Amino acid sequence: MSTANKVSWGEWIRERDDPTTAAGKPEALEDIVVLDLSHKSMAGVICSAFLAEFGARVIRVEPPGGDTARFFSPFGLEHEGTGLGYLVEGRNKLHITLDLTREGGRAILKELAGHADVIVETHKPGQMDSWGVGYRQLREINPRLIYVAHSTYGQFGPEAKRQSNKPDYEVADQALSGILHVTGEMPTGEEPKPWEVPTKAGNWFGWYASGAWGAFASLAALHHRELSGKGQMIDITGSEAIMRFMEDMILWYEKAGVERGRIGLLDTSVFPYTFVRCKDGFTMIAGFSDVNFQALTTIMGRPELRQDPRFKGFIDRLQMENKIALHSIVEAWSQNYTADEILGMVHDYVLNKRGPGIVATGRVNSPTQTLNEEHWWKRGAFEKVDDPVYGELTMQGTPWKMTETPPRTKWVCRPVGADNEFVYLNYLGYGRDRMAALKEQGIL
Amino acid sequence: MDDGRSYFDWTAETFDPTKIFQKPEALRGVRVVEMCTLVLGPAAPDYLAEFGAEVIKVELPPGGDTMRYVPPEGFFWRNLCSGFTPVNHNKYHIGLDLHKEEGKELFRQLVAKSDVVVENLRAGGLDSFELGYRQLVEVNPQLIYLAANGFGQWGPFSVGRASYDLLAQAVSGMASITGFPGRSPMKNGIFIGDFFGALMNDLAILAALHYRDRTGKGQFIEYSQGEGLVRILDWTWLYQHLTGKERERYGNRDVAISPSGVFRCTDGFVAIAAGDDESFGSLCQAMGQPELAQDARFATLPDRLQPANNETLSAKISAWAGDKSKQELDNLGAEFGFAATPVTTVKDHYEDDHLRTRRSVWTFQDPLYGEMTEYGPAPKLSETPGRYRWPARPVGFHNDYVFRNLLGLSSKRIQALTEQGVVGRWADRPGAKPPDDWQGEGQLM
Repeated sequence: MSTANKVSWGEWIRERDDPTTAAGKPEALEDIVVLDLSHKSMAGVICSAFLAEFGARVIRVEPPGGDTARFFSPFGLEHEGTGLGYLVEGRNKLHITLDLTREGGRAILKELAGHADVIVETHKPGQMDSWGVGYRQLREINPRLIYVAHSTYGQFGPEAKRQSNKPDYEVADQALSGILHVTGEMPTGEEPKPWEVPTKAGNWFGWYASGAWGAFASLAALHHRELSGKGQMIDITGSEAIMRFMEDMILWYEKAGVERGRIGLLDTSVFPYTFVRCKDGFTMIAGFSDVNFQALTTIMGRPELRQDPRFKGFIDRLQMENKIALHSIVEAWSQNYTADEILGMVHDYVLNKRGPGIVATGRVNSPTQTLNEEHWWKRGAFEKVDDPVYGELTMQGTPWKMTETPPRTKWVCRPVGADNEFVYLNYLGYGRDRMAALKEQGIL
Repeated sequence: MDDGRSYFDWTAETFDPTKIFQKPEALRGVRVVEMCTLVLGPAAPDYLAEFGAEVIKVELPPGGDTMRYVPPEGFFWRNLCSGFTPVNHNKYHIGLDLHKEEGKELFRQLVAKSDVVVENLRAGGLDSFELGYRQLVEVNPQLIYLAANGFGQWGPFSVGRASYDLLAQAVSGMASITGFPGRSPMKNGIFIGDFFGALMNDLAILAALHYRDRTGKGQFIEYSQGEGLVRILDWTWLYQHLTGKERERYGNRDVAISPSGVFRCTDGFVAIAAGDDESFGSLCQAMGQPELAQDARFATLPDRLQPANNETLSAKISAWAGDKSKQELDNLGAEFGFAATPVTTVKDHYEDDHLRTRRSVWTFQDPLYGEMTEYGPAPKLSETPGRYRWPARPVGFHNDYVFRNLLGLSSKRIQALTEQGVVGRWADRPGAKPPDDWQGEGQLM
């Protein structure tokens, strides 16, 4: 116990987990081989990207010419022939081509499957099976195989077959999960305005949630395999991936009969916990427990609000009309200051112990504002990658810091089929003539 | 090889939900000590517990986790805060006062017998109690220790700044790209940074377990939920880098996939997407306008992504979908092969046979609380399916079980520790205590 108090915790741990020291350390999943057969969906591409960040050897298999997901890109923008969303999630993967619509391609997939620990795919449910390369066929070749299938509705259940013809798009995942229904502005009148509608999370949240659960389940299954020797099949839907995050909505509905809807910037369970206008945009502000509400009202110079029957107790502040009233009161105050001035007042209150409780606050950043904050750069949340193919790029880094096996970005992406020679030689022993023939047949 | 059965007959049997409790659990044998509050922290051990990890949740008696007192609009059901249980399934709840020396010693003994510690206190909080990573690794050299918070364990924002899910949405840029042009940045309707962040935490824990299985080495892991949201803003940062332009709010339009949007129909809203050329062709067929697929403005994805074309196409879909019902559009998507999915509500989920069969809507009979329904485990594993054994429990509910069975304390010793206030149970308060009619059901010995 004698180690404590010599250097501060922050200094001590930074010396051990600063991501700039990652290169040269081992990788957690470096013994794992993943085949990513994603088809027209980013869910699997994201799943394998997370595994690749932890060091898995990911072989990304695309049809000759490249997968459509390569071209999901803002306004059709391409960089060196690839869309931006794909570039971000192509990290650390080897990229090969293989035409699974042809028998010759499927025969090669069976050979590759013998080398794989994990297969990820996003074809329509039943498609791979009908080609003879679904889980129930590939497990005959490789009983230790872990096979992850992403879709919107799933591989089983009463609706699975009927819905199996739909491709997996993330907006559909958001719709089916319920998040769309509870995000966005409240209707204010008889005739709803164009923005008073269910509103999607701005990023590809359906695909990110699906991909992350896919990686989670793969790792849990790998752990089971260590002990049992058995592989298995994993069924992930982007819709249920988000649904698991839907808080207590279903219990509240069952027991109180309340169906959650949209409440804009307000919150169901805590208040104030919201965005308010400030001089230079919007700022987030929270002070919902009684003691933190005391801190907030002290900082605002409005101690009398604590005695107001509308705001006196935690539960009083949760009544809808009180939330709306309190939001206006806080906003009338916050509009006189910039977000940083408000943060300064909070800092002063907390660090100089001017009273009990704490307030959480921070500017609602535009992407540029986030990108310009030193904190994220220092911590490696952003990184500049100098890639041999794609040049110097600024992108998000890996979010985890780990002392022994830090995740890392080794390269950004690769062009279609860039690693064909290496992978087919390395794993299957294909020489130059065989490769040339397969290419000519259009299988690679 | 495919034994002649249709694919969906085979999956129905392979994933048969009535067999869940007959199958093994993936993480059985992994013991996790949780020192967490609210959502970001507790949800990570919860997901692990759904797949078999043994999670011991340590709370300060008698009040426990703050999340016990954050019910929607103040609604408690049978003294249970409905917001508490979604992130506290299958756990063993103990009440232990870490301010007291004996409490610290029991905590260290627990950690010595565990694989993973998860905490989400302020940076360095447990270290100042002499119970942080650098002290615990001395009692358990193979320990995997994860610390999660808003801004990280070090760096300019790591001191003096409280954080919540919504602050992570704000500072990461997530809120700024959600919502409609000309309107305010939009708060996501759920605690997106917390629930998703907890899943990200688990990826690192499971990767670290895999490494430990091979090498015997544990490690320290930290996660900042702000950084987690930065990570998942897809093309935002690269777009900025390459064009110097700001990503804006685009409402329900996806400027990187076309068509993709949320369309008003006669009885609600339907998400429709057909970004790839094949499903776009199918959508055009369903619309009775097959010529659109040949139109130079729409023929390929890059064409459709040109802003003016994307807008024109959206308007056409909007006009077409407007006089159809949710069910009609859903059916057309299934028949022709494009994404068409109604915007669903919690009531839709509750009544959905598909979701219930898949146990994504999970109804169970609990000895304490009776019949109750929650959203079930998300991924479906054929050999080691996730499961709910019980929902959240009152503060200190499993004191006897954990202290007796795991640490080998006698009843007498537990009694003495309870009298000294080192070990404790629930306060007489909704959120902390069992239902009023509780007769001792559900306790473990």
